[in-house]
Amino acid sequence: MTDRQATEVLLGNWTGHSTVPSHSLYPHQWSWDSAFIAIGLRHLSPRRAQIELESLLGSQWADGRIPHISFSPSVARDAYFPGPDFWQAITRGGVETSGIVQPPVHALAVWLTHQADPAESVRRNFLARVYPKLVAWHAYLRDHRDLGGHGLVAIVHPWESGMDNSPAWDEALARVEPAPLDSFTRRDTDHASNADRPTDLDYGRYVQLAATYRDHGYADARTPFAFALEDPCFNALLIASEHALASIAAELALDPAPHLSAAAELTKSLSSLFTDGIFRARDLKTGELVAADTIAGLVPLLVAELPEATELLATAQGPRFQLGKVHLVPSYDLTGPAFEPGRYWRGPSWFNTAWLIHRALSALDQPALAETLRQDFLTLATDTDFAEYVDPYTGEPRGARNFSWTAALALDLSCS
Amino acid sequence: MKIACQEQLLPGATLQEKWAFATANGYEAIELRGKGDLSFRDRLPELRKAQADGVVMPTVCVDMLHFFGAFDPEQRADALVQMKSQLSVIAELGGLGAQTPASYGMFSRRLPPFEPPRDEAGDREVLLDGLRQLGEHAAAEGVELFLEPLNRYEDHMVNRLEQAVSLIEEVGLDSVRIGIDSYHMNIEEADPSAAIVAAAPYIGHVQLSDSNRLQPGAGHLDWAAFLGALDAIGYDRFLAVECRLSGDPVEAVRSIPAVVRRYV
Repeated sequence: MTDRQATEVLLGNWTGHSTVPSHSLYPHQWSWDSAFIAIGLRHLSPRRAQIELESLLGSQWADGRIPHISFSPSVARDAYFPGPDFWQAITRGGVETSGIVQPPVHALAVWLTHQADPAESVRRNFLARVYPKLVAWHAYLRDHRDLGGHGLVAIVHPWESGMDNSPAWDEALARVEPAPLDSFTRRDTDHASNADRPTDLDYGRYVQLAATYRDHGYADARTPFAFALEDPCFNALLIASEHALASIAAELALDPAPHLSAAAELTKSLSSLFTDGIFRARDLKTGELVAADTIAGLVPLLVAELPEATELLATAQGPRFQLGKVHLVPSYDLTGPAFEPGRYWRGPSWFNTAWLIHRALSALDQPALAETLRQDFLTLATDTDFAEYVDPYTGEPRGARNFSWTAALALDLSCS
Repeated sequence: MKIACQEQLLPGATLQEKWAFATANGYEAIELRGKGDLSFRDRLPELRKAQADGVVMPTVCVDMLHFFGAFDPEQRADALVQMKSQLSVIAELGGLGAQTPASYGMFSRRLPPFEPPRDEAGDREVLLDGLRQLGEHAAAEGVELFLEPLNRYEDHMVNRLEQAVSLIEEVGLDSVRIGIDSYHMNIEEADPSAAIVAAAPYIGHVQLSDSNRLQPGAGHLDWAAFLGALDAIGYDRFLAVECRLSGDPVEAVRSIPAVVRRYV
């Protein structure tokens, strides 16, 4: 039944060229959502999965960045805040977008989508058309976002992590002067409980960071970033995507070596974020690793031949995340001072990160752990009507329902 | 879901010969074609013999040039007689039902003279009356009438599933359902898969042909998404191939089940 219900969600959220994460809360196209959605959509329609990714890449900027939101012209301009009038960004092709980015999981999604139906992929010349765009995307991150000079990509806004309200950003965010509360109107609380969403004060800081970037033309070299951190999840996904790009290059009879070399260098650099059995974000303003353990610090489990894998797996199973004993994988340390089981990215479990950890466990030859996680995932996804996230202790659903990546990744795990 | 093939597409002189070819190539049923002048009724001995020989024939698709939505009252009346007879025959064979459009080739709002001789209210009245009569007859026989939306160039009254749903809801009979056709839907629906999900409770039968009306696989319809939607709604009846054929006709018919089975 999971397959049929998940398929109905994906058919319902399809807009003709892409999938909205949720008609109510997120009515446009989101960057890493689209990648996760394609990973499930490939089982329903390989062609739709390809189009999902191609339409996202159609919003790519000339500098190579893939913006975190591609705005739909058929949705009211004020349906989502910050909307197109706030970001004031438009591509050469006339697509209105945001100006920040999200984790680079796209090349991995492209490779998995290709593998779902190689004949349809070849017929549509899918890989050859998207490969240069993915290369440009990674080049943007490498050339413009190594703000610390450590060989790692930095995020310049909490939203760029995809884990908007994570306690790992608290300290850095507290240094940001918030935009006045009367200078904007939130729309995220129209459809979701205030108790689950970020506070107004934090929202004001998000707005200020984005406005500063915008007012400097989104030029990385010119923007005085008040917030800049090296996030282990973002960099781990870049490594996984470099490996995927190597596979894509080989399939296209191109040289995979530059991608393998980039992945190796990133993997080496990533080690500098490892401490106390987990990867932590480095705050480039202080130079220190942030003492907050989050799911972002476990995602490097996904990295092939990760030297710290054994220790990291032990941390995942330990008291901080209790892998296999609670629902999915909590977004934040269960023993941490900021833990809240229902608040956005401050404790609840997400389905996309659970999918990443499941993929990692399978690659690490941990079939029992992987299967336990998979079963929990499929049961919870169906029982919660494909909720956006859940309480790690009770499994109680939170946020949006009929959430696209929850349905997509359930379909993927159901088919695996 | 089971795959059926319309009888005229199958090689062989008799239904038994056609059945042998069909089952050897992955089909699980034959969809019959019902011509006018009660000739379908007159085939009953042939059909009974075929049934006794194991031929599975769950549905009949009307094969006439006038229909229950005709402008002409006499043609309309005759179409109702023919369809009631076809429903009775398919019931006698233990089948599921008979498929008909509202009209075919009678008028198109997209072609001159653009304005039909009967207004929309008049169309609706005629269609509701016909569907009621046929639905009541079908219910009495224990079968269903499948109303088929056609594309805008072939019928001016029922082009999309939502239009069929509106009529069926007003008629209020469970014995009237929609017979969807992928070719027409590809032209008329903004998103065929979403239309299937939206009309799910009303879909009683499915006919398949590709975007160019050729055999599935010979056009550009997204079969994965189309058949995925049918699976999602739990559709478990027949997918009847009704198409034209490109290339060698026997090879074309032989090729279809593998294309469909890839997604079902």
